[in-house]
Amino acid sequence: MNHAIISCLHANLPATEAVLNDIDRQGIDTITCLGDLVGYGPQPNEVVELIRKRDIATCQGCWDEDIIDGLNACECSYPSQLAERRGHLAHQWTDDQLTDENKSFLASLPTSLRRDRLLFVHGSPNSQHEYLLPDMDAFAALERVDTAGADILFCGHTHQPYVRELRDGSIRVRLQNADHDCDQGEELTLPMRKIVNAGSVGEPRHGSTNATYVIHNDATDEVEIKEVPYDVGRTCQAIVEAGLPKVFAWRLSHGFEFAEQAEDASHVCER
Amino acid sequence: MIERWALVSGLLGDLETYDLIQRDLKKTRGVTSLFILGDLIGPKRNCDALLDRLKNPHRSDLKPDCIYGWWEEQLLAERGFRGERKADALRLSQGEDAVSALLNTVNPSHLNWLASLQFGFIELDCALIHGSSSDVGDNLTSETSPLILLDRLTRLNVNRLFTARSTKQFHLELTGGGINSQVKDLNGKREQQQEVPKRSVIGIGAGAHYTIYDVGSDKTHFLTASSQTNTKGMGFV
Repeated sequence: MNHAIISCLHANLPATEAVLNDIDRQGIDTITCLGDLVGYGPQPNEVVELIRKRDIATCQGCWDEDIIDGLNACECSYPSQLAERRGHLAHQWTDDQLTDENKSFLASLPTSLRRDRLLFVHGSPNSQHEYLLPDMDAFAALERVDTAGADILFCGHTHQPYVRELRDGSIRVRLQNADHDCDQGEELTLPMRKIVNAGSVGEPRHGSTNATYVIHNDATDEVEIKEVPYDVGRTCQAIVEAGLPKVFAWRLSHGFEFAEQAEDASHVCER
Repeated sequence: MIERWALVSGLLGDLETYDLIQRDLKKTRGVTSLFILGDLIGPKRNCDALLDRLKNPHRSDLKPDCIYGWWEEQLLAERGFRGERKADALRLSQGEDAVSALLNTVNPSHLNWLASLQFGFIELDCALIHGSSSDVGDNLTSETSPLILLDRLTRLNVNRLFTARSTKQFHLELTGGGINSQVKDLNGKREQQQEVPKRSVIGIGAGAHYTIYDVGSDKTHFLTASSQTNTKGMGFV
């Protein structure tokens, strides 16, 4: 059976509507959302209400968490002080706009969802703030999936969709301990695991303005990355009219984050 | 020139054991540094005398460089040095009495010094941490999955991780292996191969059981304070 995974909607209603329409057209009725319903975009209440109305299973993203708990990320999560100031401005604006009911909904979201061997998170099983990039250390990537007890990990947060299969892994070790003072060598065969990043519905950064999501077939484990065009201009105009930083509109209209890519995107905020 | 590090942890306020280790180190050639990887304090005895000695070493002592461990983390959390967090891990594992006992073993005059201790040291290409890069309470042993050990090394990008939380002495080397991965995105597919880097995790022991690391030869020696058999066997005396 096919099911759809969406992530990082970021208060972009036209993009969210376009993606849900695309999923509906294919007759898929199981949808999982990996969080970040709000932040950056101009329609936080509308997007939260649409997800609630459609009763879409959702886990909490880093923006959803921060709106509820206060800014949780330290400045090192931002690549520059300018980016941090813009992030804080968007946080304050979103906080002012969101209704109490919608905040309660975001607060109620779990940090992960599990269906058998499939695990759904926003960033990584460790943190909503951790980025699992497509080229990160393969052993570290495998550790995130395997330690969480999953065969396939679905995540978002990077805004770049990809499917990464980790296979044919092994680690050889040699042990010296105090009791025996002798060497024991052995080899561990690592399991095959997969990471599926759903990209971003509301703020794509893969080089195109199209919204992205993925479809997974749970019988064959095949994954299809989908791109959906939508009215980007409408969202950009709403960003400017709302008084949000214009760079958010520029970013949306280019489909990537040129000036604000973190140097150490795997960094996890410990605060 | 020989350069050796002494690595100690889990003294839990035991000044007598620390004294024995200092005496051993005086007899050991080439020990240039003494690192104490946390758990200076514990709930079972008054720790003030040991803390006084660590803060104000005797003239003949090898001067210690200390970091904080799990017990210090619990004390500092309970005393309000960790924001809203309290000694939840201790309370959960050993109950309220253990929290009270811990508070009674350390004079508050030591708290600022304990709070000034670092999470870990990076020396050369080695990380010296009580638990691991993941958490001060991360309990790494020789039984821990090599995948997790490799992850803890990778997070810090070091070749050796010296850890103390488990209280065990072991030296586990990652000697080989690899992994293949395929990434598919909207631009197509690409294959990647990665080899296991040659790295090690070393459990340094606790209390009287400590470790000497020979920097030049990359050898570890597991010792017990005043254990003449072991030290002779290692050629240290």
